[in-house]
Amino acid sequence: MTRLSRRAALKVAAASAVATLAAPAILHAQVKTVKITTWGGKWGDIMKASVLPAFEKEFKCTVSADQAFPFLPKLQASSKSDPLYDVLHTNSNEQWMAVNEGLVMPKFTPKEVPNIADVYPYAVSDKIVGVSIFTSAIGLGYRTDKGLTPPKSWKDLADRKLDGARGGYLIPVNSLGQAHLMMLGKLYGKGMQDLDAAYKALEQLKPIKMVDFTGQMEKMLLAGEVSMGIIHDSGVLRYEGQNQPVDFAIPSEGVMALEQVLAVTPGSKVKELALAYVDFMLRPDIQKQLSEGVWYSPSNKKVKLDAKYDARLFNTEEKVAKLIQPDWNWYNARKDDIDAKVARLLKG
Amino acid sequence: MSARRLDAGRVAYYTLNGAILTFLLLPLAIVAVFALNPTPYISFPPVGVTLRWFEKFFANEDFMRSLWLSLRVAAMVLVLSTVLGAMCALALARGRLPGAGILTAFFMSPLMLPAILTGLALFQVLLLSGVGRPVWGLVMGHTLVAVPYVLRTTLAVLANFDTRVEEAASSLGASPVRVFFEVTLPLIRPGVIAGGIFAFIVSFDQFPISLFLVLPKGETLPVVLFNYMKFDLDGAIAAASMVSIVMALSVVLLLERVIGLKAYVKL
Repeated sequence: MTRLSRRAALKVAAASAVATLAAPAILHAQVKTVKITTWGGKWGDIMKASVLPAFEKEFKCTVSADQAFPFLPKLQASSKSDPLYDVLHTNSNEQWMAVNEGLVMPKFTPKEVPNIADVYPYAVSDKIVGVSIFTSAIGLGYRTDKGLTPPKSWKDLADRKLDGARGGYLIPVNSLGQAHLMMLGKLYGKGMQDLDAAYKALEQLKPIKMVDFTGQMEKMLLAGEVSMGIIHDSGVLRYEGQNQPVDFAIPSEGVMALEQVLAVTPGSKVKELALAYVDFMLRPDIQKQLSEGVWYSPSNKKVKLDAKYDARLFNTEEKVAKLIQPDWNWYNARKDDIDAKVARLLKG
Repeated sequence: MSARRLDAGRVAYYTLNGAILTFLLLPLAIVAVFALNPTPYISFPPVGVTLRWFEKFFANEDFMRSLWLSLRVAAMVLVLSTVLGAMCALALARGRLPGAGILTAFFMSPLMLPAILTGLALFQVLLLSGVGRPVWGLVMGHTLVAVPYVLRTTLAVLANFDTRVEEAASSLGASPVRVFFEVTLPLIRPGVIAGGIFAFIVSFDQFPISLFLVLPKGETLPVVLFNYMKFDLDGAIAAASMVSIVMALSVVLLLERVIGLKAYVKL
């Protein structure tokens, strides 16, 4: 019988101990994690309750979903070769900043994300980085109990009867305010890039109550602090059936798209999983669930919405033709100057 | 004549105090009204009384998880900053260190920097060193901005410290360790505890530093409230604020009960 030396026994014991200690880590390491950003509120509730668990189950992975803003500065601060996120979900204006810094990949191919073959053209247009998985429409929210004629044009917001009761956004921090500024250029000048005309028109909207979040605009409308304000359709439509005296109007000049955009980081260590997540979010069943949960218009043409959502959301070729996509790349390049000018204009 | 002047002075005194108290307490009153008002938006006058927002707050898993994390982090910060701040203060006041003034300014410097920059810098350091965003990183960040409070309050006590008491203890045969624990520590305790209370509150309410250092599903209460507000600005926010206020008050009252804060009012 071969006797085990004390040294050999110690080696075996040490190796066993290391293996025992390391086993959970090794098992854990086999389960890949895809790191994403995502919204909170009702969207976050649906994601956490069903969408993300379904993805984790199907792809045998875990999803680390960051809901804590600000996403872009955190991504900027992390290493490009080992980014904080694999998939960046944010609005189009931030995606353009990210792509210009090389933080996200500019486009997807149908081979990478097969479901983009079924999206409306706006979702992958030259105004979009990555892919837009949903959009809201930026238009006018208004009170139905103040004797107002439902607005038909963006110019109705300038009606003097609304002095002290119209709502807008702090332009430097809110993309709805920025989109509206570009729309003013189109309404009163030569186009969305006519900033001089936009500034002049903005001044005519004073006095205007300005907020930084769309959630605040919702509450101001509900509380009657403003009678009409710039808002995305989902911010008003979500109160349907709750007996609230608010409605959403689509101005004749068109609505601006507020896209929910996904892009993948080039340094992602789990790129296949990240692409699978983007594809998953474009699946008709997932799109329908989220669309009807938060009143976002789906990007996938194959989604069949229930009647009440079908009536209001932008889910046909004809309806999506009314969407105007701002050129965020152009806007971002001038943002500092615009912020300074707007601050001077709205002072006092 | 003199009595009339006194009355006028007294009226002015009470009016000014009343105005200051109103200024300080009115926001709390508004938050309380909002927390108990059934409408899902701020409205005045209130249309009724409800506890639904408190129910929503306590039933929300994210709120509860973040509240518990904030309390744990604040408790750790209290201990760490109290120990570190008190030791630094003792060294600075009694250690005859060269450049003690510069060192004091250095230790106070986290209060001079915008906390958002401190948070961003710590975030980068943690990521670049490959440790990610562990809870101890968050505790470290909070401690960084909490230590100056303990340092300042302890230094204030040490400035009026009569060292002859320690000398007397030594001359009667007490060892340096015994002198520290039985003479020095009890005498500087007011400053250390007052600083510790500040440290707890600074950590519990800390937002700019936490913003960068929290992990998904590991956010502190102020971060969760901020993100919640972006999508749902309802009474749950006010209920959460009321709970935070009650918690902070409870800590102060508990300390008053246990150690008696009245003795430290002179600070």
